[in-house]
Amino acid sequence: MVFLFILIPLLVAAFLPLVGKLSKKLLPDVLTNAALAFLLFNSFLLIKPIFNQGAIIQNLTWFGEKVNLQIALDGFNLFMLFTISLVSLCISLFSIDYLEHYGHKANFYALFLVMIAGMNGLVLVPDLFSVYLFLEVAAVASYALVAFGLGYDELEASFKYLMLSVVASAFTLLSITIIFGMTGSLSFQAVAQGLQDLNAKLVIGVCLAFFIMGFGLKAALVPFHAWLPDAHPSAPAPISAMLSGLLIKVSGIYALFRIIYSVIGISSALSQLLMALGTISIVVAALLALGQHDLKRMLAYSSISQVGYIVLGLALGTPLGIAGALFHLFNHAVAKGLLFLNSGSVQHITGTRNLDELGGLGKKVPITAGTNLVGALSIAGVPPLAGFWSKLLIIMALIQAREFGYALVAILASILTLWYYLLIQRKAFFGRLAEKWLKVKEAPFWMSAANILLALICILAGIFFTPIYKTWISPAAEALAKGIQQVLMWGL
Amino acid sequence: MVIQILLLCGLVIFSGLAILLKDLIKAALSLAVASLFLGIIFFSLAAPYAGVFEISVVAGLITVLFILTIALTKKGDEVNEARVVKLAFPIFFILFLLIDGLVMKSLLQKIPALPAGPEAGNFGEVLWRQRTFDLVAQVGVIFAGVLAVLALFRKKEEDKDE
Repeated sequence: MVFLFILIPLLVAAFLPLVGKLSKKLLPDVLTNAALAFLLFNSFLLIKPIFNQGAIIQNLTWFGEKVNLQIALDGFNLFMLFTISLVSLCISLFSIDYLEHYGHKANFYALFLVMIAGMNGLVLVPDLFSVYLFLEVAAVASYALVAFGLGYDELEASFKYLMLSVVASAFTLLSITIIFGMTGSLSFQAVAQGLQDLNAKLVIGVCLAFFIMGFGLKAALVPFHAWLPDAHPSAPAPISAMLSGLLIKVSGIYALFRIIYSVIGISSALSQLLMALGTISIVVAALLALGQHDLKRMLAYSSISQVGYIVLGLALGTPLGIAGALFHLFNHAVAKGLLFLNSGSVQHITGTRNLDELGGLGKKVPITAGTNLVGALSIAGVPPLAGFWSKLLIIMALIQAREFGYALVAILASILTLWYYLLIQRKAFFGRLAEKWLKVKEAPFWMSAANILLALICILAGIFFTPIYKTWISPAAEALAKGIQQVLMWGL
Repeated sequence: MVIQILLLCGLVIFSGLAILLKDLIKAALSLAVASLFLGIIFFSLAAPYAGVFEISVVAGLITVLFILTIALTKKGDEVNEARVVKLAFPIFFILFLLIDGLVMKSLLQKIPALPAGPEAGNFGEVLWRQRTFDLVAQVGVIFAGVLAVLALFRKKEEDKDE
C-alpha cells in the first residue's frame, strides 16, 4: 500500500502520452486528479497504523520472491506524503483550466506526476543513494516543467536552475560517496550504526558541509538561493506553486534534516550553524522581497524567507521547535501554493504580473482577491490563520531554549513579511481601479475552486489547530526528535 | 598498474573530447566511452556497485537519451560558443586537478573505514538483487528525461478541441 505512492504516479504518467492521443483534455484531467485524490486518501488510511506501530517497514515481493524493494514509513515521512498529496491535488485541479492556453496537457501532467513520484520516492526510501536518485527524478521533471512555456525567459530560467541544481547534486553525491567509503553501506540504518562506531569527526564535518551546500541549494537557503527568484516566476503558475510549495521542502529540507537527524546525528555546533543560515535567509530574503515589482518574484523571495523559519525551528532541535517548523512547512506549502496559483489567476485575468500596473482588482475579482488575502495573512502569521500558530510555536521554542536574539529576529521579520504582503494587497487589489481593468472577469471555475480550497485549508488548519497537531504534526516531530534511535529501531 | 594508468588516460582523454568536440553526436559518444572506461576502473578496484551504475546509467541509458535529443534538433539550431567558454574549460580543468590533488590526497589518508565486507556478488547479483530500488529510480530518471524531450521538442501548434 505504501509503495503505491511511487507506483501510481509513475504508471499513470506512463499511460498519459498514449491517453493524450485519444483525448487531449478530458481523460488527462480526470486520470491525473483521480490518481492524486487516491494518494491523498491513501495517506489518510496510513494514519492509524503509524499511530499504533510508530513505523511501517515494507518489503515488496514479486511472485513470492523478495526483490529488495524496501520502504520505511514513520510519522515524519507520512506527514510529508500527506502534504505532497494534498497540495499537488489542489494544484492539478487548478491546472484543468489554467493549461487551456498552453495545450499539450497529457505531456504536462505526465511530467507533473513523475515529479510527484520522485518526491514520494525520496521521502520513502531508507537508503542514501536511492535518495539521490529520486532527487534526480523530481529534478529532471522540474527542469522540463519550468521550461514548459518554451519562451526565452522560461528556457533561460530552466537552464540556470539546471546548472545550479547539478552543482547541488554533485556535492550531495560526493558526500554520499565518502560516507559509503567509510561505512561500506548506503542504508540509513547501517550508515547510522557505522558512523557511531567510527571516530571520524573531521570527515563527517566535510560530508555535512557538502550536504548543507547540496541540499541548501535545493532548499534555496541564502547564500545558495540565486536560482530560485528566476526559476519560480518564469515557470507556469502550477509549477511555481509546486516548486515553492513542495519541491524545495522535499528535496531540500526533508532530505537534509532526515539525514542530519536520523543518520548522522545533530550536534550543538551544527545546530548553531543551521540556525544562523536560517536566520540570514529570513532577513535577507524578506528585505529583497520588499523591493520587487513582479508579483511572482516577490512571492519567490518570500519562499526563501519562510524556508528560513522552517530551518530555524528544525535546527533548534527541541521537540517544540521541530513541531513548529513542521507545522510551518505544512502551512507554507498550502499558503504559498495558494499564492502562486493566485498569481496565475491574476496573470490569466489581466495578462500582467507587474504590481505597478495592477490596482483595485478586489472589486472586479472578489474570489481571487479574497483568497489572496487569506494566503498572505496566513504566511504573515496573523491569527487565527494557520501560519500564526506555526510561527508562534517556533518563537515559543526559541524563547524556551533561551535563544532570545533569534526569537527577536523571527518576530521582527514577521512584521516585515506582513509589510510586503500588505504591499501586494494595496498595489493589486485595493485602491482605484485602473480603466484598463474595467472589463476583467473572475478566473475560470477550476482555478477559483482550487484557490478557495487552499484558502479554506489555511483557515481551517488555524481553527482546528489542536486535532491537526495531534494527528499529523506530533507523530512527525516525535519521529524526528528520536534522532538516530528512530532509524535503528526500524530493524531493516 | 600499466592497465590502470592506460584506463585513467583513456578516461581523461575521452572526457576532454566530450567537452571539446563540436559535433554533438561525437561528443555524446565520447562521454559514453569515458563512462565505459570509468566503469571498468570501478570494477578493477573491486567496486561493482559503482561500475554497475556507471555503465548502466551513464554509458547506456543517458547516451541513448542524448542521441535521441540531438536527433530532434534541426540545422540552424547550432549555437556559437563565446571565446571565454573555450578558455574557461582548460583553466577550470587545471584548477580542479590541483584542488583535487591537494585536498583529496590529504583527506583520503584521514578517512577511516569500518572493516566491512566488500560488496559481494557479480554484475547481475548487484543489479537485480541488492539495488533493485535504484533500478526503479533509474527508470524514473530516464522516463522523466524522455517526457522532458517530448515536452520541450513538441510542435508549437495549438491543441485542437476534442
